[in-house]
Amino acid sequence: MKCLYFLALAGLGSLVVHAQTNLTATPATPHGPTVITSDTADFDLGGHEATYRGHVRVDDPQMQLVCEQLIADVPQAGGHVNHIVATTNVLIDFLDSQGRTNHAISDKAVYVYAEQGGTTNETITLTGNPPNPQMLDAQSNTLTGDVIVLDCQTKHVTASNQRIVYRHNFSGAEAATNAPAANSGGAGTNNLSAPKKNEP
Amino acid sequence: MTRFWLATAAAWLAAAAFGLRAQQSGHATDFVSTDYYEPPRQQQVKSILSGAEALPQSGGVLIIKQLKLQTFDPDGKIQIIVTAPECVYDTQGGTARSPGPLQLQNGDGSFHVEGEGFLWRQTNNFLTISNKVRTRIIGGAKMISKP
Repeated sequence: MKCLYFLALAGLGSLVVHAQTNLTATPATPHGPTVITSDTADFDLGGHEATYRGHVRVDDPQMQLVCEQLIADVPQAGGHVNHIVATTNVLIDFLDSQGRTNHAISDKAVYVYAEQGGTTNETITLTGNPPNPQMLDAQSNTLTGDVIVLDCQTKHVTASNQRIVYRHNFSGAEAATNAPAANSGGAGTNNLSAPKKNEP
Repeated sequence: MTRFWLATAAAWLAAAAFGLRAQQSGHATDFVSTDYYEPPRQQQVKSILSGAEALPQSGGVLIIKQLKLQTFDPDGKIQIIVTAPECVYDTQGGTARSPGPLQLQNGDGSFHVEGEGFLWRQTNNFLTISNKVRTRIIGGAKMISKP
């Protein structure tokens, strides 16, 4: 599995956010409420599990998610939602560290939160689109892979068998708003398939 | 379950015998029904279903006003609190249902749910909300952390 670092990608003018180099220095930020809406829901009150069905939508200060079914932990007092599974037509919009909206498409998204030995692991794993999950950044650059893992703590994206398609404008932003016709020989919008190896 | 029905019956008998809460119309106030875990935790409360009023209907059905359902872990910690203005409680089938609104929250209120129309099945402790489900999680799923 090849790891794509946000910083490297940002250096290539593409996907998402800059890496944090000093996580311990990052202050904890207050987090607003997460709101889940759906048509129906089942709550296993003994098993501490909620299953939402039909037009499921999650609104979080840092992201929005829609899907057809979502299963989440019901936290006990003082607890945390540790596990969420969103399935069927999963669409995620999330903000990167620059406040830009990125998109993700998959059949399944699994959020896991775990604390071990003072370390917090918080990831979202995307699988199945089909055939593959896909992420798009604000510039419409795309990342696909068999499995895409977004580490919410480190801001790293890890993808297996990844493929990145850059949508790069060679002549800058002005041309992007008034692109010439294709095959004109001038600057315009191009799709570039990145080489397999994207490490800096 | 036997203890549950005994508790239910006892509550009704007490209300009828003392005549303090039972009224001429046949409804009782401050209705409380308690369910316990199976042995060996038979002393531990599993759930408490209460209401400001209970109006008996035919077939072992009660209309409960100001429903409050509390469920507890085996260690006594409160799991969930469900409240609703009204519901129909089937004492024989062990279900509570209503087309009206309800609210649900965990012990500290960090997980709060609203919805319309519900069915609670006592046997498996499952609650289905039929419409307009809205869950608010405070400090729960952080999802994407802001740097």
